Amino acid sequence: MKAKNDDKPWLVRLLNGERTVLAKAISALENETDEASTIISGIYPYIGKALVVGFTGSPGVGKSTLVNSYIAGLCEEGLRVGVIAVDPSSPLSGGAILGDRIRMAAHEHLENVFIRSLASRCHVGGLSRATARIVDVMDAAGMDVVVIETVGAGQSEVEIAEIAHTKVVVCSPGLGDDIQAIKAGILEIADILVVNKCDLPLAAHTVRQLKSMLSLRDESPEWSTPVVSTSALEGTGVVELTEIIKNHEKMSSNKKEGYGKGKPQQRVLRLLANSAADEIKKALLQDKSEEISTICDAVLKGEMIFSDAIQRLIKGSLPCKQ
Amino acid sequence: MSNKQIDEGLKQWEELYSKSLPNDKPRTNRSNIKIKPIYTPNDWDSDRYMEDLGFPGEEPMARGIYPTMHRGQTWSQRQLVGLATPELYNTRVKQMIANGANALSMIPCNSVYRGLDVDLVDPVLLGTCGITINTVGDMAKCLKDIPIDKMSIGLNDPIPFTMLAQVLAHAKNINVPWNKLTGTSNQSDYISHYVANHMFFRLALKGSRRVQMDEISFLRDNCPGWNPVSVVGQHMQQAGATPAEAMGLTLSTAIQYGNDCVERGMLPDSFLPRFTFFFDISISYFEEIAKFRAGRRVWARITKERFGAKDPRSSRFKFHCQTSGVDLTRVQPLNNIARVAIQGIAGILGGCQSMHTDGYDEALSCPTEEAALISVATQNILKDEAGLTDVIDALGGSYYLETLTNQMEEEIEATISRIDAAGGMFLAVESGLVQGIIGESAMAHQEKVDSGEHKIVGVNAYVPDEDDASNRKVQPWPDQNIMAKHIEDFCSFKENRDDAAVQRSLDKLSEAAKSDNQNVYEQVVQATINNATQGEIITRLRDELGFGNPLINA
Amino acid sequence: MIEEKTTKEAFKPRVLVTKIGLDGHDRGSRIIAAWLRDAGMEVIYTAPWQEISTVVKLVQEEDVDVIGLSSLATDHLLVPKLMTALSEVGYQHVKVVVGGIVPDADELMLLDAGVSKVFHTGSAKNDVIEAIGALANKARNSSSSITFN
Ligand SMILES: Nc1nc2c(ncn2[C@@H]2O[C@H](COP(=O)(O)OP(=O)(O)OP(=O)(O)O)[C@@H](O)[C@H]2O)c(=O)[nH]1
Ligand SMILES: [Mg+2]
Repeated sequence: MKAKNDDKPWLVRLLNGERTVLAKAISALENETDEASTIISGIYPYIGKALVVGFTGSPGVGKSTLVNSYIAGLCEEGLRVGVIAVDPSSPLSGGAILGDRIRMAAHEHLENVFIRSLASRCHVGGLSRATARIVDVMDAAGMDVVVIETVGAGQSEVEIAEIAHTKVVVCSPGLGDDIQAIKAGILEIADILVVNKCDLPLAAHTVRQLKSMLSLRDESPEWSTPVVSTSALEGTGVVELTEIIKNHEKMSSNKKEGYGKGKPQQRVLRLLANSAADEIKKALLQDKSEEISTICDAVLKGEMIFSDAIQRLIKGSLPCKQ
Repeated sequence: MSNKQIDEGLKQWEELYSKSLPNDKPRTNRSNIKIKPIYTPNDWDSDRYMEDLGFPGEEPMARGIYPTMHRGQTWSQRQLVGLATPELYNTRVKQMIANGANALSMIPCNSVYRGLDVDLVDPVLLGTCGITINTVGDMAKCLKDIPIDKMSIGLNDPIPFTMLAQVLAHAKNINVPWNKLTGTSNQSDYISHYVANHMFFRLALKGSRRVQMDEISFLRDNCPGWNPVSVVGQHMQQAGATPAEAMGLTLSTAIQYGNDCVERGMLPDSFLPRFTFFFDISISYFEEIAKFRAGRRVWARITKERFGAKDPRSSRFKFHCQTSGVDLTRVQPLNNIARVAIQGIAGILGGCQSMHTDGYDEALSCPTEEAALISVATQNILKDEAGLTDVIDALGGSYYLETLTNQMEEEIEATISRIDAAGGMFLAVESGLVQGIIGESAMAHQEKVDSGEHKIVGVNAYVPDEDDASNRKVQPWPDQNIMAKHIEDFCSFKENRDDAAVQRSLDKLSEAAKSDNQNVYEQVVQATINNATQGEIITRLRDELGFGNPLINA
Repeated sequence: MIEEKTTKEAFKPRVLVTKIGLDGHDRGSRIIAAWLRDAGMEVIYTAPWQEISTVVKLVQEEDVDVIGLSSLATDHLLVPKLMTALSEVGYQHVKVVVGGIVPDADELMLLDAGVSKVFHTGSAKNDVIEAIGALANKARNSSSSITFN
């Protein structure tokens, strides 16, 4: 997007898609340095252009390999692609080995592709805490598509639903547990289900299983979740998947409200809500006032029900309102 | 002596032992087998002699694969020779032949392993560890004036075996019939490259599987004196597998290749006699000897039970071995001469058919000529001075070694069962199971080194005050002028050939790779005869069959 | 910002563990990667055989502090070219270490070319971790990084 005359030099460079500026901005956001909020405020006038696609699914199902094949097609179309690949941090040491990129080597050297590996830094939810903002900064830097690969912990992947416009849930054939995990949670968030490794036996069976599971789910009128089989290794089914992602994009951007490419309001709203929640929590925890302790006592004694207490805290007693 | 007497004696001794050594810590070998302080007939008894040992050349093969073993014929001393250019190699090899060598061995430059012709590689990397050999013309220079029908040739030549194709093309050009050629494709084990040696050029797994089978069947029909398969346990052990795991994984690989041959319609007795093996010898002395003895037994059983082999040659576990570079240290490099000697003895007492001993300076650089000469001398000392070849399986019957051999056999069988359960070696490699096993063992070993439990002299024990490795002589890098000349020669070779013929044969190669039933290797040979370069051949195959990215589990 | 800020002390070194050139033996780089992870660093791990230009792009995108190159054959001979490529894009603050089999004469050559340290086979875990941690800190502090204001 075109910079305005009064934009700061860093912002102009970022908006021009300068790789080094983008990378440093991501680091600042990830490490939540002093510069992070400057960056956020600077870029917000420029976001909302990118399509954000999330790939999630259990470890080893082939997410990275599939992202690699998916972005191949995008590159051919001449699109600029940003990839955010999240891998788990070790809970013991806090360190991480970030290896998703290994499988994306086919495009690593292309000017049009920018890949950034992130450690989850023990943030639950399969992403790193700063992911949403990193998506925004990639968006501002002119990426046409931003692809997010989650940690792949299985059930707690719902956070991706708040960030990605199109959620692709990947599984592989014949894994009973995998199906359980999908049942347990992430089926809900899937806009598209992929059975990857369809070159292996049992793939067709898994496709049938998933379809019958989906039939039990309430479908929205606009979109019925498709099940696609792919082999990321051999490249089969990837064109079809790309097509379906496009259709999903069209569908969701045709919808008036909600969440989709070109509708950054929702994204900002979520971000604000999350940050506001953090702020309220911090304020409440620091608040030593009489009223707070009265409310707590009342809840403890069973004199006030939980939901009333919450209402009172938000509506009446919020210290930051003053 | 009755068992009762032994039991009593043992009990007395144990009391004495634990009194004198109250803090004795349990010990394990690299394969995680617990090692006791003493072994007695309670652990292994000569009652089991026929069952466990028998006689050399006979089932169960523990004592060796030939009746005469090293008394009849000592192992071949196969020192790998690789010098920067074909001309330099030829000069060196002729010297060696003048000094009595009767076998050739060729190690190509890393660029060749990667499937790249010299014009595609940064010149500083060329010829640093082996011969830059891309065409039949280069092979002709390597083998100039050498009677190739009288020399067994060992080629470090991974899939798709372009060096062998060059040898065949050269033989054709000088009118040596292919059935007069003998030798071994030393690196004909794509599985081991895929899991453990990322030096080698690789096609994707499926394509490699096919080309390997094509090679076996082509050579069986056209060059019957050649050993088309050498299953390489060495890479896996170097990458960190324990000796028992390395042996088990290697045998599982051989089972896979055997099954693939059977599926191709070949009869086991027509290909098994030409299967050979290649192992690492670590410094864990008894363990290595036991590994080889146990491996021989397991392989003999596999050939009979799984393949129904009738020909006794099918059950012979012929192996080449190389002293382990991983055990060598950069610090105090001369100490490595002692290490190599000990490793070498283990190979000999383990009953090897062929051996390479490392140069003492391999942890510093590619070996210098001085180091290479010492390593040859080491073998000669072991062979001719130490009396190691006087008695067949000289350590056979030792309570410890026999117990250990049985235990190693169990571990090896356990690994094979694990791979069987995963659907065989091909699938186990595709799924990453094997890489996981190797990676874990590598880390476990490293932890033992870090903690000092596993001692390495000069590194974590008896550490010298000064790092005396500095200023040591190392092999100089190839002369850039010689290399430039070689690249020039290569380019003019390409300019002066019949381009149309090259293109035609490369197209035929692609066509064969696309088809299901044509023999790809036959076309590799034909293209080489028509002066296609190895880089061109490999590029075509990569295009058709895919590139085998290593499976990396971070 | 609302969240607690990451202090400079708490910063996690980002280390690229990779291999350039022809050789692909990865036992060494895997072990190093695991050591660094266990020491709390974030390691970007790649397949072997990287092109120099790819490494440069990767360094930029991943904003790494230290590059660890494992070389067991002769690939260290390419390192001076990597150093040149890094300074051409203004990334000379990124520290480069080489581990593996490096002859002494070549070690001097590498240090001359700007490599911070050469680790030979048999280097102790703690030495490696400490050295890389210190270099990462240095790199971060000397980075002529873009200021966002
Ligand atoms: N047979 C087959 N294997 C595949 C396919 N896609 C990926 N793989 C293999 O599956 C393994 C894991 O692939 P990745 O892409 O790393 O999987 P991932 O889901 O990103 O894994 P994590 O990031 O660790 O959760 C690799 O060995 C891939 O080569 C496929 O379509 N077919
Ligand atoms: Mg991944």
